[in-house]
Amino acid sequence: MTGLLLGWVMLAYLAVGFLYLAGGLWDSPRLTRGAKWLFWTGLGVHSFALLARWWESYHMALGHTPVAGFAGMLQLIVLQAPLSNFYESLVFFAWCVPFLALVTFRRYMQGYLGTVVALLACIILAYASLGGVDSRIKPLMPALKSNWLLIHVVTCFLGYAAFTVGFGTALLYLKQSRRPTPSLPPAANLDHLIYQSTIIGFLFLTLGILTGAVWAESAWGRYWSWDPKETWSLITWFVYATLLHARLVKGWQGRRIAWLAVLGFAAVMFTYFGVSFLLTGLHSYL
Amino acid sequence: MAKGKVQKTTPKTDLEDVKPAARGNKTSKLAPKKPKPGLRPAAPLPAPPAKSWLWGTLTSIRFTVFLLLILAALAIVGTVIPQDQALGHYIRHYGEGLGMFLYRSGLTSMYYSPLFLIPITLLALNISACLVNGLPQALRRSLRRLTPEAAAALPERGHNYWPAGTDPHPAVEAVLKQELGRSRRETFQDKDLYFWEQGRFRPLGPYLVHLSLLLILAGGLIGKFWGVEGRLPLGEGQETDAFVLASREEQPLGFQVRLDKFQVSFYGKGQAPKEFRSDLTFLRDGKEVGQAVCRVNDPVTFGDYTLYQSSYGAQPAGPVVLQIKKDEITQTVEVPLRKMVDLPGGQAQVMAMQVQGDLEGYGPAVQLAIRSGAGHPQVLWVLKDHPQMTERIGPYQISAASLPFKWYSVFQVKYDPGVWWVYAGFILLLPGFFLAFFRPPQRWAVILEPTPRGWKGRLLGASPRSRDIFLARQNRILELLKKGTEQ
Repeated sequence: MTGLLLGWVMLAYLAVGFLYLAGGLWDSPRLTRGAKWLFWTGLGVHSFALLARWWESYHMALGHTPVAGFAGMLQLIVLQAPLSNFYESLVFFAWCVPFLALVTFRRYMQGYLGTVVALLACIILAYASLGGVDSRIKPLMPALKSNWLLIHVVTCFLGYAAFTVGFGTALLYLKQSRRPTPSLPPAANLDHLIYQSTIIGFLFLTLGILTGAVWAESAWGRYWSWDPKETWSLITWFVYATLLHARLVKGWQGRRIAWLAVLGFAAVMFTYFGVSFLLTGLHSYL
Repeated sequence: MAKGKVQKTTPKTDLEDVKPAARGNKTSKLAPKKPKPGLRPAAPLPAPPAKSWLWGTLTSIRFTVFLLLILAALAIVGTVIPQDQALGHYIRHYGEGLGMFLYRSGLTSMYYSPLFLIPITLLALNISACLVNGLPQALRRSLRRLTPEAAAALPERGHNYWPAGTDPHPAVEAVLKQELGRSRRETFQDKDLYFWEQGRFRPLGPYLVHLSLLLILAGGLIGKFWGVEGRLPLGEGQETDAFVLASREEQPLGFQVRLDKFQVSFYGKGQAPKEFRSDLTFLRDGKEVGQAVCRVNDPVTFGDYTLYQSSYGAQPAGPVVLQIKKDEITQTVEVPLRKMVDLPGGQAQVMAMQVQGDLEGYGPAVQLAIRSGAGHPQVLWVLKDHPQMTERIGPYQISAASLPFKWYSVFQVKYDPGVWWVYAGFILLLPGFFLAFFRPPQRWAVILEPTPRGWKGRLLGASPRSRDIFLARQNRILELLKKGTEQ
């Protein structure tokens, strides 16, 4: 059932992309308003699908893990958050991108920027739904049975999502700085947005690494094991730390910052997909 | 009218934004007095204190970025080359020459080799130098409250007039209260001055962040030097007072620990494992002093040490007895582990390779290798509780009559006094980030002065780091002030 819903959400995001584009090209506030409305609606349905899957996996878990009392129930609910395999992480990632963009960059979400964000969300969701990713709900393995799962995954993916928005903005900036287009947002705004999204992403990535470390300490007795996923998240962190220092200390702006945001996003993508598919390690389930 | 003013005076022109000292943490190279354009040329500038090349390098941002890039590159290499394997593994994978080179050069134990530790140490030095270099100034700036003089010197952002006969004070106070909260009021050069500031401690943010990074690195170092880490395998019913370090030396625990029971459960037959559980009893001088259950994600701390459920297995507790049916005749054969035994009739031989306590939820199982003739041996699992699941091998139908085994559990044992330093660093990062990124300094002032036709109010303010928020607030305040006069 949630698969079908998510299919509709994917189409909605696609439509949102085109609506934003049309609204920007014809300078039509009505189309832009429509796009915004549809975007929020899509996000609402997406949220509902996430909750439905959560509900479903909670009830599946009840089948083999009887709970006692309210605390036990709460514990099982937290554990069964739909964030425990690759498919679920993709669906959540696709949710984080529009959520972050709509909440933190509300005022900028129009025209090309809206299009880019909506299309990125659509692509991620399309990969989850059509990319042959195993979407079955599986019982939780012992290593994942921890309250840290929820907070670790949420912070990490909010970070990834902010970097994704920053990447989209950086692409627009690079396009704009090479051949300025009046229908694109002014370069200064885009530059500012790259910086803002980097701050948000950096904060969440840091929190993700910290919560991961605390979790690893309690699960394996080591807060840092130099596992490929950990190492690559540190590399990503280095890239964005470089960006922030270049900006704050050296006053870099414009194309150089945009290129660093692109480089950082490449590191994010490798941390997420590359490590899972090309290298082996402790994070094999995600 | 106010609109036009708003357009003209954006906070971009603010002095502080240009002043490099306000630009961030690693100010070293930029901070020393540069001649300000507005300063009188006659005043001779004090010579900047001569900085050694070493200090200059240590505090430079170029050095930081250089180190970050080196560390990132080394870390990438570390993820591509499998780490901490035996020499044989590398020789198999990379050939004699390259494998040997990788092993010797430290690239196969990257994160503990000087190759990696030297840049990390330099980074720590770099961060410390920047802290020493800039923290005093950041502290001074944070401790300096906004004075009436400084407030009156803020750049003007707009103004408003009140006709004669009206008292603008209550209106201004109400607007400021609504938009900013509590502001201070003083008389400055015979004018009424309201002023307000936020984010005074922002300059400390980056220093807190870097201090916490140092704490984390220090914690890692402390753990490396004063921490102990090892493995503790325990059979069911077995008791021990020591564990094994990575160097294969024994390390005394200072107490005894006994594995009373190990259990593994599965979500169902043939499905994923659900829980690994070890029931432990702790003893001091042979007396029981505590009991605990150790699970994955649920470690047990006793004395100085913490035990983590790390792995498990089953050990044969005697020879495996197989029942072998051939041509409607059933015979039993005793099969010791790793020893070839002839099957009845002598046409094949069997060897027990390993015993499992619970194979994917199907219960005890033994893995057999059966060889008949010259071909490769056939490998199969025989389940004790599910004999029907074993296929026939040639004329033989094999089942397990007796499969004695004992569980063992392996724990990761650790004492790490550095963890608390690391956690302290984690906690300190949060206020650091908050100050650095979410508490941009904002300063506002309103100066009220009487004019022949009534009152004039000037709005002053600056926020070099948050253009958007500042501008939005500026528009709102001017709007509100204007509305106040129209009533």
